[in-house]
Amino acid sequence: MVTAEKRAELKATDAALIDRIVQRDESALAALYDRYASILSSVLNRILRDTQAAEEILQDIFYQLWRNAGQFDSSRGSLSGWLLVIARNRAISRLRRHNPASGEELGENTVVVASNLESSVAQQQLMAKVKSALGNLPKEQRAAIELAYFEGLTHSEIAQRTGDPLGTVKTRLRSAVETLKRDLHP
Amino acid sequence: MSGEHPTRAEDFDLYALGALDDAERLAFESHVGSCADCTEKLAAARGRMAILAFAATPVAPSPGVKESLMRQVIASAEGPGGSVARVQPDPAGAGGVFARWWAMLLPVAGAFALATILLWLHNEQLDRQLADLHNTIAQQKQELAETRHQADLIAARETLVIPLSAQKGAPEDHPEGHARVLYNAKEGMMTYDGWLPAAPADKSYQLWLVPTNGAPISAGVFNPQNGEMSHMMMKLPAGVTAKEFAVSLEPAGGMPHPTGPMILLGPIT
Repeated sequence: MVTAEKRAELKATDAALIDRIVQRDESALAALYDRYASILSSVLNRILRDTQAAEEILQDIFYQLWRNAGQFDSSRGSLSGWLLVIARNRAISRLRRHNPASGEELGENTVVVASNLESSVAQQQLMAKVKSALGNLPKEQRAAIELAYFEGLTHSEIAQRTGDPLGTVKTRLRSAVETLKRDLHP
Repeated sequence: MSGEHPTRAEDFDLYALGALDDAERLAFESHVGSCADCTEKLAAARGRMAILAFAATPVAPSPGVKESLMRQVIASAEGPGGSVARVQPDPAGAGGVFARWWAMLLPVAGAFALATILLWLHNEQLDRQLADLHNTIAQQKQELAETRHQADLIAARETLVIPLSAQKGAPEDHPEGHARVLYNAKEGMMTYDGWLPAAPADKSYQLWLVPTNGAPISAGVFNPQNGEMSHMMMKLPAGVTAKEFAVSLEPAGGMPHPTGPMILLGPIT
């Protein structure tokens, strides 16, 4: 049974929950966790393929949010975007044995996500849309974009991994991001 | 691109994707960091690339992560420094923050429930004691009222004191005893105080008012214990004037009319 309190938290905006976290309201953090932990866990596990490492990072991200929520300016960027960027950056840094990337602070790394991802329905819809858009890409473009996004490889590293010429990889990636931009953000 | 706007819009996406090699990346950063317009474009590009996370196969975190996170949050609030000390997830992997809250609340709730039960039992006991006290008070009030009635009866000028005694020539096997009746015809009240030995098991003593006209009227049945006085007070029927009082030995429980031997008799003179 969903309580009235739970319903209110489901309806609360990210900005409102952040404000409550600043006021040290644990339940607001729990609500944001419920809202975004699954998608963050998914991307962390996809990159790391290590559940324990993924869960450590997941917890660290939300703990960072708890400590530094006051730095977040919801008028400049979206929390969902920041969480996704940080999760990916942390996972790739762990994967590549790098220190955490710079620009992770809430006030520094502005991310604007066009879609409102505050509801699970919106997340489900976006998931279908992204998978469809990626599925429509030519195989090579899709592979290139996945190597870049999920493994953190640069043009040169992708070329080295696939054995394709660097120029070809650059063209594939450029075409892929153009197509995705058109399909996902018309 | 050094010092200039990126030539292609996709450069923002490729940078956000992390695909640019070092030289391209540094050139991009050297400009974007100081260009508000490009910073805005980069924020949008980061958002476009960020949602590629939704291409990942859904993997829900174990409930223990949330539980551990909330423990960490509480620990940071309680302790100095707020260090990111790793709190190991619950191996059972179940419960989440609600399980933690339950774990905290359960002993309190248990103690509260126990206290409630004890209080309820204590309250029940007090209710019973209070009911007993009410009964005792009511009984004492009734006894006090009777005593007052008796006192009023005795003090009243028109009250007659009628001694009851064994009849002369009564058979030897008749019980021996003595009694008195206070009779107030005006008030229609009478009391009986007397001593008689215990009646046989199948018998009772019965007090009779013998009116000036008509058959004797039962004024009460009693079964005295050995050595104890009997006391009775009764309201008499209206319009009845007694000429004597008597005690007979009747079958247990009494009879509508006297059937047994008269043990005591007290005429009004």
